[in-house]
Parts: sequence; C-alpha cells; structure tokens
Amino acid sequence: MNFWQILAQLATGVGYTLVVTLACIATGLVTGLALAILTRLRPPGLGVFLAVYSYVFRGVPVLVLLFMVFFGLPGIGLEVPPLLAMMLSLGLIAGAYLAEVFRAGFNAIDPNELLAAEAMGLRRREILVAIELPQMLRFAVPGMLNEFTTILKYSPFAYTVGIPDVMKQAMTLAATSLRGLEIYLAVGVIYFLVYKLLLTLMRAVERRFAVPGISRL
Amino acid sequence: MNDWLAFFQEVLDYGPALLAGLGNTLLLAVTITLTGLLAGIGVFYLTISQHAITRRLTDAYVSFFIGTPLIVLLFLMYYGLPPLGLRLSPLTVAIIGFTLNVAAYNARYLRIAYNGIDQGELEAARAQGFTHLEVFRLVTLPQALRLAAVPALTNQAILNLKDSSVVFLIQYTEFFAQVQELAASNFQYFKAYLLAGLVYLLLVSLIVLLARRLERTVLRPLL
Amino acid sequence: MALLTVRNLVKDFEGRRVLDGIDLDLEEGQVKVVMGPSGCGKSTLLRCLNRLIEPTAGQIRFEGEDILRPGTDVRALRQRIGFVFQNFALYRHLTALENIKLGLRKLRHFSEAQATERARAELRRMELETHGDKYPAQLSGGQKQRVAIARALAMDPKVLFFDEPTSALDPRMSREVITLINRLFLDNVTMLCVTHDVTVARYISDSVLFLDQGRVRAEGDADHLLDQHQDPHISAFFGRGARGV
Repeated sequence: MNFWQILAQLATGVGYTLVVTLACIATGLVTGLALAILTRLRPPGLGVFLAVYSYVFRGVPVLVLLFMVFFGLPGIGLEVPPLLAMMLSLGLIAGAYLAEVFRAGFNAIDPNELLAAEAMGLRRREILVAIELPQMLRFAVPGMLNEFTTILKYSPFAYTVGIPDVMKQAMTLAATSLRGLEIYLAVGVIYFLVYKLLLTLMRAVERRFAVPGISRL
Repeated sequence: MNDWLAFFQEVLDYGPALLAGLGNTLLLAVTITLTGLLAGIGVFYLTISQHAITRRLTDAYVSFFIGTPLIVLLFLMYYGLPPLGLRLSPLTVAIIGFTLNVAAYNARYLRIAYNGIDQGELEAARAQGFTHLEVFRLVTLPQALRLAAVPALTNQAILNLKDSSVVFLIQYTEFFAQVQELAASNFQYFKAYLLAGLVYLLLVSLIVLLARRLERTVLRPLL
Repeated sequence: MALLTVRNLVKDFEGRRVLDGIDLDLEEGQVKVVMGPSGCGKSTLLRCLNRLIEPTAGQIRFEGEDILRPGTDVRALRQRIGFVFQNFALYRHLTALENIKLGLRKLRHFSEAQATERARAELRRMELETHGDKYPAQLSGGQKQRVAIARALAMDPKVLFFDEPTSALDPRMSREVITLINRLFLDNVTMLCVTHDVTVARYISDSVLFLDQGRVRAEGDADHLLDQHQDPHISAFFGRGARGV
C-alpha cells in the first residue's frame, strides 16, 4: 500500500467529514444569528437566558457535551442519532461563539444610519433586514471563517460516536497496517486541503458581496 | 432524588481518582498555556524575520497548524511513532502536540497585534542603532503582548483547559477520562457528564476571574 | 392652516431642561431657519418634531393632527417628514440609487422599475445622474449630502428637516449643497433647517428663529435678525459668524 492508496482509502471518509462540518456550521449559523438578533432587539426577559446560553456553551468542552448528548441522553430516555448529536454539541457551541461574532458585527454599524432609517419611518424589523443584517454579515466574515475552521477541526470527534469520517478511516487503516505515521500525515494533509477549500469559498463569497468602504472587522 | 443521592455517593467513592484526574488536567493545561505562549513568541519572532524564506516557512507552519485538527497530530505521535521504535508517554505527546498547535495560534494573535503597532516607533528604534533582536525584545514584543495580551491569551488559556479533555483519547488519565470510568462503573452516563460539564464551567469561571485580577493588579500598572 | 404648529414644547434630559417652552409655526411653502449657540437645543427640537425624541410636555400639531396623542401612527408621521442629517447617514452597503430606492420600495411599495425611475429623477434633480451606482465611500461629502437630500425628497415629504446639513463639509462642498437647497427654496419646498451657517440663514429663509438655552430668543426675517438686532447677545453671535462669510 503506497501513500496514494492510503489517501484514496481515507478519501472515502471525506464525504462524512464534510457533512458533519456543514451540518454543524448550519446549526451554528442558525443559533448564532438567532441569539445575536435577540440580543440586538432585547426583548424583555430574554437577557438572562442569552447570557446563560453563552456562558454554558462557551465553557463546556465539545467532547464533554458530545458525550453527554450521545451517551448520556439515552439514559434518560432520549436516543440521539450520531449526526444530530454532533449538531447539538459542536453546532450549538459554535452558535454561542458565532453569536459573539455577529454581536460585534452589529456593534460596528453606524448608529446614524439606523437613526436615518427610523426617521424615514421604517419598522424595526425592516431596518434589521434591509440595513443591519447586510452590513453585519459583511463585518463578520473573518470571525465566521475562524469559527467555521474551528468546526472543521473539531469534526473528527464524529468518529467517537460512530460516524465513518476521515478520522475513523485512518484509525481502521492504522490498526491493520502499522503505518500510522504516513496515515495520520495524510489525514493532516486532507484536513488542510479541506481548510484551504473553505478559505477559498469564503473569500469568493466575500468578494462577491464586497462593498467599497465596508472592510473586515 | 434517591438516584442523585446514590450518584453522589459514587462520586465520593471515586473522589480521589477524580481529583487525581483533575490534577492531571490542570498540570497539562497550565503547562501548555506557558509553553504555547513561549513557543508562540518564538514563532511570532520568525514571522517578522528579515529573511523571506524564514517568513514563508513560518507562515506555512502557522497556516498548517491552524488548518488541521490537533487530534490528528496527537494520534500521529501516539499511534504513528511506536512502529518506528519511538514510544512517547501520553503526557509528552500531549505537551508537544498542544505546544505546536497553540504556538501557531498565539503567533497569529501577536502578529495581528503587531500590525496595530505604530511602525514609526519601530523605525525610530532601528535608527537608534538597536539590532533586530533588541528592537523585537524592547519594543515589538512588549507592545504586541500588551495589545494581544489579556483578551486573546485568556481565551487561549480557557481553550487549552477545555481542549485538554481530548487527551483521554490517547490514554492520558486526566479528569474526563476519570469521569468516564465513573460513568462506566454505574451506568449513570448523563449524570457523570453533567458533573464533568459543571466542573469545566467552574474552572473556566476561575480563569476568567483570575485574568481580571491579573489585568487589574499586575498588567495595568506595568504597562 | 399652518403645516406645523408647536406650542410650549418642553424636553427634559437627565434633569436638564433642553427645550423650555418653544412656540413655532411653519406654513406650507415656508422656509424657517433655526440658529443658536451649540447646546441651545436646536437638534433636539428637530428630533422632537418627528418623535425620534419624546418631548416631556407641550403640543405639536402636524397638518392639524395632534401627533403627541397616544395612538399616533409615528411611522406614518415620519414618512411625511424628510430628514437630512449632518453626517449624511447614507446606508453604506447600498449604492446611491439603492439608498433612494429603499424607502420607495419598502414604504411606498413602488415596483422595482417605478422605484428606479423615481430614484434616477431625484438624482438628476441633485445633478448626480452619473453617480447612481457608486457606494457612499466613493462619493465626496457634498455628493453624499446631495444623495441624502434626494433620498428624502423621493418620499414626497410635506416638509424637509435639515440638521446642520453643511457643518461636516468644507466650504466648496458646502456651497455646492447650499446651491441645491436654494433651488428647493425657489421651488417652494417647505423646509425647517437647523444650522450654524449664516449663508443659509441669510439667503435661504423666510424667517429665522434664534434659540438660546432652550427658548426662542428672537424671530424675524434674516436681515433684521442678522444685522440690526438690538439684543447684544444675538448681535454678538452673528457678528462673529457674519465676518466669516
């Protein structure tokens, strides 16, 4: 078995790695946006909930939360499938961090523009959709990229709940071939390539929506 | 209710092992926070080197370690090296792996802070006749550290503590490994992991409080 | 009937009385300029009139309607008032054209084509027809303020409010903006303008209000107020300003 054959075998897990990563990114984006918007609109009574969410999900290790969801919840009668378990741990944790990224993006918006929109007679919701979100998302690009990278890097935890991703393939190969060094080197290269792909995609999106005068935060 | 009482009884029985695990967790987290900071400063020095090749290589290093999972590096050393006759202890593997990884991140934070330094100051220092290393030690580093120091490095310490939980996957008996033992002994997985989560939360809170105090009493007067 | 009638308007802010019983009438087609030293309450007055700031007491009637009555449709009120800010406040993620179209689309429910057509017409009126696709960051200060005026005019407001429209501009750009405001003046657009700029007061006003410490200290036509007023406080204020022009 040469290095290329090892790579080919590992590549069979790439699809799973991508699915896990994208599912957790989606979970993180949805929860992060929801949290940041709620924080921005400040509905009464939610402040404490938001603070607690942020504190808990940024304070607990991904692996601990993953095990709690996947191995712990069945004990109280809740079976959670592996991918969902990843989303409820890595995804929700990413949501807490992304909420911070989005919050900073919202804060970078010029309050004068919002005042002008209010003076024009736009509704709060219209201002949010037409002015705040488009600007905030542009400011948030670097922070989002950071968090997406983090999600990719934690995605190998998926193997601990039985998802046959790149890491799982590597462990199977390594157990049978005693060529762990090459195998894990190849795994590193694969993750790095996926990371570069993610980077390229984000840059393309950023360029597509680039506006003169709005720079990265 | 009785469940929980029984569970706490188990926790007490496991107390010494859990505490020993916690000790190992803290040992690892503190070690890699320090080594990661020192190595990060070294890598940062290389990223602003005058030699293009050195810069290119260090940038590649930083980029690679930011782009690949730490766990891959840990498995590479722990499972990949023994067949070549090199057997490292889990703690050694963890320290090397984390240091390489954390150094890359710290170098990047410092680099970002460096971009915020007034270039005129650096030029002035060079014009005064200081060597490259002296400028780095006397001007660049203190300023970059001041700009990056408290928030970024506190976050790094918190991440280190949380991420140290992965090393049970390479058989290092830290806190989370002991929690799993506890869970396996009584099948109270949910309670055990809940306990683990609470302990990590508590430790993270302690780091935050400590960092605040450090900033107030040590750093602010110093800078 | 006056378009806007203000009686005994009071605004307290953190224990300080910023507006202390203001009376003001604005007829349709009339242009009034509000002047006064910094901190006299000029900007607060403007913001109370479209309820960006809630007044503490007093009465405001807009087109005969008491707009401080509970249940007033504040958004509908604001849509009838065009507001131009000192710092332009253009939406920086939108082009000049899109800045103007936003209100037409969301508030007037124009079709895309109608909105574009109307926005282009407003840009032409402000002599900016070739700048429609530029983003705010690509425009000069004067051009930005002209886009902001076009954005306000596109909504067919009953009145235009200006809050220091030229104070963030250098003299050349401020002349460029004043020329266009003057054209609106000649077109009989109703305007209420808060400014430091004596040129604006002198040439683009039917009447000037002098505000000091939250009260209307004097009101009259520009020449009288700027050149011949007996109150030493007022003549001192304008004496400094007028020499600068």
